[in-house]
Amino acid sequence: MSTLAVASLKKARPSYIRKSMYGPATPTGQPEMRASDLPGMVALPVQALFPDIPKAIYVEGDDLAPIRKATAEALANVNMDKIQPDSSVNILTSQYGFMIMGGFAYREMVRTIKEIVEQRTGCTDIRLRIATGFRLKEPEEIIKHYELDKMFNGKVSPALYIDRAVEIDTPIGKLMGIHKIYNADFIIHVHHGELRELDMHRMISRTMKPFSMSYARFETRSVHHMNFGPRSSNLIPRLIFESPFVQKKFTFGVFMAASPQGVVGVEAGNDLMPIDRRLMLLAFKSYGKIRELYNEIKDCVCIIDGSGEPRYMVGGGTTFGNLTEAELDLFDLDTVPISLGFGLYQPPPTQPKLKAVNPAVKALVMNHFWTGVPQMELATACPMILVGDEMHKLVKEDCMNITMADHVVTAQNLPAALRFAKRIAQTDNIIAFDGAYGAITCSEALADHLIKRAPIANQRVEEELMPKWLRQRGFDPSEAL
Amino acid sequence: MVQINYRAEVIPEKCTGCVDCVFVCPTLAIKMESRKAVIDESKCVACQNCIGICCDDAIVKLERAVPVEREVDYTTVNQDRILEICKRANIHPMQWLCLCTSTRAREGAAAILQGAKTPEDMALMTGTRSGCTVYCSMMSMRLLKAAGINIPLSHKWHLFDTTQSLWDVPKEIIDKYAGYFLEEDKDVFRKF
Repeated sequence: MSTLAVASLKKARPSYIRKSMYGPATPTGQPEMRASDLPGMVALPVQALFPDIPKAIYVEGDDLAPIRKATAEALANVNMDKIQPDSSVNILTSQYGFMIMGGFAYREMVRTIKEIVEQRTGCTDIRLRIATGFRLKEPEEIIKHYELDKMFNGKVSPALYIDRAVEIDTPIGKLMGIHKIYNADFIIHVHHGELRELDMHRMISRTMKPFSMSYARFETRSVHHMNFGPRSSNLIPRLIFESPFVQKKFTFGVFMAASPQGVVGVEAGNDLMPIDRRLMLLAFKSYGKIRELYNEIKDCVCIIDGSGEPRYMVGGGTTFGNLTEAELDLFDLDTVPISLGFGLYQPPPTQPKLKAVNPAVKALVMNHFWTGVPQMELATACPMILVGDEMHKLVKEDCMNITMADHVVTAQNLPAALRFAKRIAQTDNIIAFDGAYGAITCSEALADHLIKRAPIANQRVEEELMPKWLRQRGFDPSEAL
Repeated sequence: MVQINYRAEVIPEKCTGCVDCVFVCPTLAIKMESRKAVIDESKCVACQNCIGICCDDAIVKLERAVPVEREVDYTTVNQDRILEICKRANIHPMQWLCLCTSTRAREGAAAILQGAKTPEDMALMTGTRSGCTVYCSMMSMRLLKAAGINIPLSHKWHLFDTTQSLWDVPKEIIDKYAGYFLEEDKDVFRKF
């Protein structure tokens, strides 16, 4: 690790940006310039920082054959006896899967599942359901972009949180699912193991979370996010998943396992609990170290530069939301965050005080993102510079952050925005969240700092933090070896 | 104060009369007339649910000539009564009622004290449900119920009454799912 020299680092390769009605209306749907094209930006390989993070079988642009092979292998031991030739089956997907590394790995996994289920069961009535966060037209964009209509012979449908409801009886009363999700004899739950929003799921019932978010009506999403706490909220998906209604339809789950390196494999099974534990271990070993490394950044300018909402934009294979709360160890279940989602307004007694955004983020440059999530805290907690008039228009019209435009300034281009941000932040540490896996797109100054600090982060996770995370979840630490 | 700069408008030639938009409007601003959707501009909070659900792209977002302002001044009502409603709902007055519009629970309670009887009244008075329409939905219902208001739910899939919170979990569930911090998280919320 110590042999890694900044001078030897290559130019970064950002993720492809999909054109969307939720992004800035530039002529091409793309930003004028990507963060990786700025002078002095390099790709710092994750593998060189943490050699033991599981290696990828796929990163964006690679051949998709390994995804197909891994999916087939994962499905080999899955029991599909429930599904008969005359059954109807809904394959359930979420929009975020299509945002990971350009979306084609998730698409290939979905296609492979469909074909194998057809071959093994003789079932032909297999439909695809695409759930979404807050961008109601996004599933239609996904269907068109990935030609899913063709793949499923027209049996594809968006599943929106405002769609017709289905009542699900649980031990805490009725909760509301989306009718289109459950309107088949059986369901196949197809998700991913990417860390995404640790502040919400805390690696508690991670595999089940879509049952109270993606697959749930807005009432139940509200119950999950607002009526329960930062740890207890994760009971809601579990109660829905374990309900007789869902259990009668549930056949198996398939997960695209990811680390900051890329897609590392596919997990599948009829029982979600073992998968939950395997994904948990993977997250501790891989994302735990990147998060801790981000905690070693004491000042930086962040550039948001990809598809999706800023919080879910990936840099170094890890979402931006993990940098905005990197100063707190959110794998530690004794830690309670206050900043997002849960409607809290002050830290509980004995908890460390947390600002809405990690104080290390000194300025934010928004080169390209999509609207679709409440995120006012980003603009109010640190200086935000938008790039270009189209981005300004997007923010001004965003109904989920109605006063954000009052808290930002707009620069005409990316270099100008960065110059301004650096004057405010007084740092040469720049990190871009540009969708890239396998490498952190950053300035040479930050690369040098991260190379020096990686061994310290690695040691802290291995010796101090991971044993605690494992104990809290009932693991024997030897399982992690 | 919530300023609503936009509104939704139906393109009659494109509307097929499917009625979906009627069910998803958080303020019940949409009605059918001659098998076409018609939006009451005065009630539209520009949330875009109707645009999102319309398969025929028959509804568009337009800028209002004059923005509409929605605000409940919580200082003009009895503060003890705000606290009483919030306490009964197990919601701190300073908790977010709506993240999109930065509206606090105390403003929701104040809206009730100023006459809000339904979730739609609450949305129209405070400006909430003009963004994602999701997170604030059950918070509003909890406040209304805590004030003793019986909420009429008329439309078939407009809104369902499922306001479960940490305080509604039976003890046997708390005991069974110990790893979910169900008791401990109560302390995170209620610090009156």
